[in-house]
Amino acid sequence: MIDFEEELKKFHPSLEVEDAEEAIYNQDLTDMADILIKMIEKAKPEEE
Amino acid sequence: MICYKCGCRLSEHDFCTGCGADVGLYKRIMFMSNRFYNDGLEKATVRDLSGAIVSLRQSLKFNKNNIDARNLLGLVYFEMGEVVSALGEWVISKNLRPQKNIADDYIDMIQTNQARLDTINQTIKKYNQALLYCYQDSQDLAVIQLKKVLSYNPKYVRAHQLLALLYIVAEEWEKARRELEKCCQIDTNNTTTLRYMKEVEHMLMPEEAVKSAPKKKAVRENVVRYQSGNETIIQPVNMKESKGVSTLLNLGLGVIIGVAIACFLILPGQIQNAKADINNELRAVSEQSDAKTATIDELEQKVQKLTDENAALTAELASYQGTDGTLKATDGLMMAVDAYLKNPDDIESIALYLEALDEEEGEDKTEGIQDKTEAFTALYDDFLGLIGERLVDYYYNAGYAAYRADDYETAIPNLARAYQYDSANGDALYHLANSYRRNGDEDKAKELYAEVIDNFPDTEIANRSETYLAEINNAD
Repeated sequence: MIDFEEELKKFHPSLEVEDAEEAIYNQDLTDMADILIKMIEKAKPEEE
Repeated sequence: MICYKCGCRLSEHDFCTGCGADVGLYKRIMFMSNRFYNDGLEKATVRDLSGAIVSLRQSLKFNKNNIDARNLLGLVYFEMGEVVSALGEWVISKNLRPQKNIADDYIDMIQTNQARLDTINQTIKKYNQALLYCYQDSQDLAVIQLKKVLSYNPKYVRAHQLLALLYIVAEEWEKARRELEKCCQIDTNNTTTLRYMKEVEHMLMPEEAVKSAPKKKAVRENVVRYQSGNETIIQPVNMKESKGVSTLLNLGLGVIIGVAIACFLILPGQIQNAKADINNELRAVSEQSDAKTATIDELEQKVQKLTDENAALTAELASYQGTDGTLKATDGLMMAVDAYLKNPDDIESIALYLEALDEEEGEDKTEGIQDKTEAFTALYDDFLGLIGERLVDYYYNAGYAAYRADDYETAIPNLARAYQYDSANGDALYHLANSYRRNGDEDKAKELYAEVIDNFPDTEIANRSETYLAEINNAD
C-alpha cells in the first residue's frame, strides 16, 4: 500500500527559470578525469 | 581524444605521443564515459528516459566534457518536462564547447520564443504551488493546479506522477491509471510510475493484477498493426507457438471425441450384449432350477410313498410281533411241558419255564393267558392242573425256607407264586404278609394281612394277622 506522506517526500520543487543560473554556477562539474589528473599531479612531486 | 596535459591527439598507445604522459587510465575513463553515453542513447531510443538519465549522468561523471552525453541529457530532461534542468545542461554544454554545439540551437529554440519561456516558467511555478498544496493537505487544489500544469506541459512526468498519486489517495483508480499510462507513454520504465501502476492494477483487479498484466502485454506484442489506406490492419506475428498449443488442443479434443464415441456408441452395444448373455444364462439356470424342482417334488412324493409303506409295514410287523409273542409264550409252555414229559420230578426246571412264560405275559398272568388262543389256554390249564400242587409245594417250601432264613427278598416271590397257583393256601399268604412286614413294606403287609383276615376268617393265621395289623396300626 502506498504511503502518501512518504511518497510526497520524494517529490521536490522544480527549479524555476530565475534559479537556473545560480544552479548552473553551483553545479559541481568535477569528473573522474579531473580527479585522475589531480592524483597524477599530486603523485609526481612525491616521486621527484 | 586529446591528451589532458598537452592537448595532443592521442593514438592507440597508452602514452601521449606528444608529451609522453601516461594516458592509459585516462583513456579508460574516456571509454567508460562513452560506454555510458551509448547505453544512455540506447535507452533514450526506446523511451526509457529514466534509465537514460542515469546512464548519461554516469557518463558525465567520468567525463564532463562529453558534449554529446550532456546534450542528450538535456534533451531527455526536456522530453520529461524538466525544461530548466535541460536548459542547465545545454548552457554548460555550450560553455564547454562554444562552437559547433547543437546545444546552442536548443537554447535558441527556447529563448527566442519568450511566450513559450513564460509558459514554461508559469508551469514550473504552478507545479511547485501544487506540491505546496499537497504538503498543506489541500489535495483538491493540488489536483486542479496539476491539471493546469499538464494542460500547458503534457509531457511533464513528475506532474503526471503527482496527479496519479493524488488520485490514488482519493481512490480514483481509473483516473490514476490514465495518468500513469500517459507517464508510461513518455517514460516507459520509470520506477515510480511502475510502482504506482502496480498498486492501481492491484486495486482494480485485486486477484488477477499480477497475472493479467503480462498477458495483456503478451497479446499486444503478438500483433503487428499497420495502416493500409484508411484501414488499420492488425496481424498476428508469432503463429508457431499457437500452432503447438492448437495441436495439443486438437489432440485433446480428439481424445475427448473418441471417449465420447466409445461411451455413446460402443458401450451401449457392449452393455446390450452383456445383458443378453446374462438373460440367456438366467434362462438356462431357471430351466435347470425348474427341472430340479420337479425332481425334488417327485422324490418327495416317493419319500411320502415310502414313508406310508414303512408305516404299513411297521404296523404289519407289530401285528406279526403279537403273533410272535404268542408263539414265544407257546414255546415257553411247550418247553415246560417238554421238561415235564422228560422228567416229571424236575419241578424246578418246569417252574423256571413257567416263570419265563409269566414274565413274558406280564404281571397279570390270567389276562395274558386269556389273550392267547384257546388251545394254548386249554393246554396251560391242563398242565397246571397236572403239576399245580407240586408247583405250589415247590414254591411254598422254597419261600418258607427263605422266610425262616430271614431271606425275605427270595421268600416274597416264591410265597407269592405259591399263593398265585393256589389261592386257598392261607399259610403262603400269611407268610408272604410277614415277609413284607419284616422286610419293612408295612403297607403291603397290611394289605395282605387284611386279605388273610377276609379270606381265612376264624383261623389262627387270621387271628395273628389281626394282631400284627393292630401292631402296625398302633405303630403308625
